[in-house]
Amino acid sequence: MSALTDLIPAHRPSLAQSLFAGVVVPSLCAIGVGTLMQFGVGPVLGDYWTSVGVQVGIAVMLAVSLNIVNGFTGQFSIGHAGFFAIGAYIGAGVSYYGALLIWNDASAMAHGAPLVWNNSKSWLFGAGEWLMIGGAILGACVAAAFGYIVGLPSLRLRGDYLAIVTLGFGEIVRVLLQQTRPQVFDGAELREMSAGELVIPPLGGATGFSSIPKYANLWWVWLFVAVVVFFAYRVKVSSTGRALLSIREDEIAARAMGVNITKYKVRAFVLAAALAGIAGALYAHSGNVLQPRDAGFQRSFDCIIFVVLGGLGSISGAALAAVALSIMTEALRGPEPILENWIALLILTAVISIVAAILRAVGNRGWRITLLMAVTPLSILLLGLASKFFTDATGINLADYRMVVYALLLIVVMLVRPNGLFGLTEIWEYFGPERAKKPPTTPPTASQAAAAAPTEGSRP
Amino acid sequence: MSEFLLDVREIGISFGGLKACQQLTLQVPARGLHGLIGPNGAGKTTAFNLITGVYQTQTGSVSLDGVHVHHLAPHQIAKAGMSRTFQNIRLFGDLSVLDNVRLACHLRGTHTLIGTLFRTPMFVAQERAIRERALKMLDVFDLADLADEQARSLPYGNQRRLEICRALATEPKVLLLDEPAAGMNPSEKVALAATIRQIRDRFNLAILLIEHDMGLVMDICEHITVLDHGTPIAAGAPREVQNNPKVQEAYLGEPGAVL
Amino acid sequence: MADFLQILITAIAVGSLYALIALGYTMVYGILKFINFAHSDIFVLGAWTSLTASVCVITWLKLDTQQPPLWLAPVVLLCAMVVCGGVAFLVERLAYKPLRKSARLNVLITAIGVSLLLQNVGQLPGFTAAEKDGRSLATVPFGPSPSRMPSLLPDTSLISVPFPSGDPTIPAASVQVNLVDVFIFVSAMVLMFGLQHLVYRTKLGAAMRAVSFNTETASLMGVPVDRVMSFTFVTGAVLAAAAGFLYALKYPGLNQPAHEIWVLLGLKAFVAAVVGGIGNVRGAVLGGFLIALIEFMGMYLFSKYLDPLMGTNMGTNLRDVYVFSVLIVVLLVKPSGLLGTPVREKV
Ligand SMILES: Nc1ncnc2c1ncn2[C@@H]1O[C@H](COP(=O)(O)OP(=O)(O)OP(=O)(O)O)[C@@H](O)[C@H]1O
Ligand SMILES: [Mg+2]
Repeated sequence: MSALTDLIPAHRPSLAQSLFAGVVVPSLCAIGVGTLMQFGVGPVLGDYWTSVGVQVGIAVMLAVSLNIVNGFTGQFSIGHAGFFAIGAYIGAGVSYYGALLIWNDASAMAHGAPLVWNNSKSWLFGAGEWLMIGGAILGACVAAAFGYIVGLPSLRLRGDYLAIVTLGFGEIVRVLLQQTRPQVFDGAELREMSAGELVIPPLGGATGFSSIPKYANLWWVWLFVAVVVFFAYRVKVSSTGRALLSIREDEIAARAMGVNITKYKVRAFVLAAALAGIAGALYAHSGNVLQPRDAGFQRSFDCIIFVVLGGLGSISGAALAAVALSIMTEALRGPEPILENWIALLILTAVISIVAAILRAVGNRGWRITLLMAVTPLSILLLGLASKFFTDATGINLADYRMVVYALLLIVVMLVRPNGLFGLTEIWEYFGPERAKKPPTTPPTASQAAAAAPTEGSRP
Repeated sequence: MSEFLLDVREIGISFGGLKACQQLTLQVPARGLHGLIGPNGAGKTTAFNLITGVYQTQTGSVSLDGVHVHHLAPHQIAKAGMSRTFQNIRLFGDLSVLDNVRLACHLRGTHTLIGTLFRTPMFVAQERAIRERALKMLDVFDLADLADEQARSLPYGNQRRLEICRALATEPKVLLLDEPAAGMNPSEKVALAATIRQIRDRFNLAILLIEHDMGLVMDICEHITVLDHGTPIAAGAPREVQNNPKVQEAYLGEPGAVL
Repeated sequence: MADFLQILITAIAVGSLYALIALGYTMVYGILKFINFAHSDIFVLGAWTSLTASVCVITWLKLDTQQPPLWLAPVVLLCAMVVCGGVAFLVERLAYKPLRKSARLNVLITAIGVSLLLQNVGQLPGFTAAEKDGRSLATVPFGPSPSRMPSLLPDTSLISVPFPSGDPTIPAASVQVNLVDVFIFVSAMVLMFGLQHLVYRTKLGAAMRAVSFNTETASLMGVPVDRVMSFTFVTGAVLAAAAGFLYALKYPGLNQPAHEIWVLLGLKAFVAAVVGGIGNVRGAVLGGFLIALIEFMGMYLFSKYLDPLMGTNMGTNLRDVYVFSVLIVVLLVKPSGLLGTPVREKV
């Protein structure tokens, strides 16, 4: 049989072909997603839900990026927020101080965001938004570099060290951010600062970093969601992805098959860190005050629950969990906007149920999963109601105690469905013509059955 | 430089006080088919682990095609041309049958993150080549129909075959099989013997085989090394080994017993 | 010089606490082969139980708040140990035992889940357990705000060594050895020697070591593996309870259970276990003292030399950073820790 290397030349596509399929089409898709969200979905949602939509998009990016480490590779990082915060602070620093230095003014109105305010000084994006993109790229690179520094020593060792080291990493980032200098609000003052003073950057310290231009609208966020999902999916279905999955399945067999497990673990970790950095940079521009605690355990844990619940290895599962849980958290925090939209949620439930019914009628096995999804808006509504009654009756805001529920959820999922709701399977793989019941193949011989028994489920 | 493809000299390891494998020397020429036998716990699997780099040998050397490999990591040894199966099957259970084999093709390619993320022509060509080769490999083992099944869901016999198929997909020069016939019935064993010979001829490689089934070993191996309590006690052609009193003693506890 | 010695004394007291917690990490790791993330929360539970128990006893028996009788301290300690041991027993039975054969990742995720559950249940608004003049003094669970532990030990310093400074313009400083510090050190030592005796001198300890060495063989030899595992788990928790109690004596202002400060404390104790060699009982003790020493010396040196240089004031705030850097260095240089032996996975 011919060697692999001899087979390669015959399969080589032309540069134009691969540029088209590899770069042009996905870019157009990403722009399409952003445009749809901004101009199609955004106006329907209204202001409040638009801002929720931005946060949901960021949660999806975090979930999908963490899934590369925790899901595909089977390693366990619990400091994802550390990379997120690094991206956020660097992104914020670049566009806030960049704007301050260039224009002496860091407000979004003046230098960008035509998609929001339609008073653009340039076509499509303002110069300020280019600063955001630059900041996001720089943030991703720095986060990736930190990922490498933290990941290499711990990933060489047994899996659980990574958990501890990343936990420590996130907390350390938080502590370090608290030590930064107060924010500078004046361009002239900034220019006068000496290099020595800038060794400890003015990122706001414990009070936080505020007044960052608000460029991150639905368009930008969901465009990047699409990019992150594309990247994650491409990794999953490539040789690299199989190498990562093989590590998760069985490290010893993976090494025997020639997988350099340290290299791939580090690679996954660095990629995940970089994508979290991008998510952070967008978060910084979404109108929030950055706080050192953004690097803390709480946010890391939010990412973990998305991944564990959605499915260790399922991109769409983790994304779906991120969407559902973010909105549920929102419902707990302030149920009014949810309850005001009860008609919309009911209609959504009805529409998805009808789709499920149609799928069932045409013999598509996807109806079960569709029905499951129809439950989501309904349960959000019920949760909103419950939370409202509870708050009215006791004066306690349930959002503060969501961690109790999440922690229980985590334990129960591990006991009942160790690979999360969707496991490795992508949601679309549940669709397709109903599989015919397989005719029983020749019954296994007694010896086979006996020998097979101990191997079932005895994976290390 | 030796004339042997796989040249193992005096390797050994002890776990705490337990001398699991000591002073093991064995040489397999190109296209050779050698057996490694011994009673339970004799240290056969440990020997495989030493040769493939899972454990670092504490003494001696292992060379493959004239190159020392005993200081390398397992993945480097695999790349140098050594592949193996495991006594307790170690497939990637959640992955499909096809993906198990595709993963094994992985080490003959180059994989960059940039290529993966942007699907460069080189990346695309390589992925396609890997797929083509993996499917061909599955075809050889009559597993092509099951390509999309989860490896975990295969019946036992197919799992064993898939593991051999996966090992071969790494394009090895030497193949190490750890009890491939375990759990098989006599007719399956006969088929397996034929398969092993075919593999050797078709892929042109040397095979080192651990097996408890004496019939099978005596039938297909040209040369046999016997381990007992971690030390080699005999080596030679099947007939010689069979008649060696030490070997009979090791297996049955007393000299002169019939093997 | 005086401040240096004073810091050294604090470091030894805190080091004994780290050592006590690290012992729990190390024992569970040695036997169950996973990092029990919830261990630091058991420690927090110990601290808060001590607080609640002492407040309750003082209020119920109308004891003197300023100078409670000396028998109170052991009673409170016992309370903390019983509560922590009980909770740990339940955790082991309900969450970890069903996962004994599962993949490591699943156990790890469960452990994190348990840790969060304990933290957050711990700070649920609770039922009042003790009140005075209609004001709730202690609740069960402990509620979402910080609280203060009554002082159970008289606040006396046992030794006070005056330290003349070379310069007559500066007043002489003195080094004080407080009762609390001595009490912490002595109790920790007693517990550690007790554990040492248990592990290396008793039949149960032999069983524990056997399970740690090879679970399957131990079970074939007739060791009741499940019971030994539960026992180990509970023993670790009891040590953590003691550490929590001693911590509350030294630093009576307790933050709410889900506060980040606890996570960092637990993390440092874990680092101590890793530095000493995880799975190694003596290593955990060594690591505990070493980590505390590094932490406090780091704070001292940074504040004294680097802060003035940079015009900052962050030497103390960076205490966790020093410890964490040590962890990274250890992982790079000797991943099995100072006294640990490298493990080999069986194929
Ligand atoms: N990692 C290890 N740590 C400690 N002891 C080990 C290790 N690996 C193997 N051993 C011991 O070494 C001895 C040889 O084991 P090995 O698995 O090599 O035997 P084997 O010849 O393959 O037996 P079998 O025919 O049962 O497969 C056994 O006593 C085993 O318990
Ligand atoms: Mg064996």
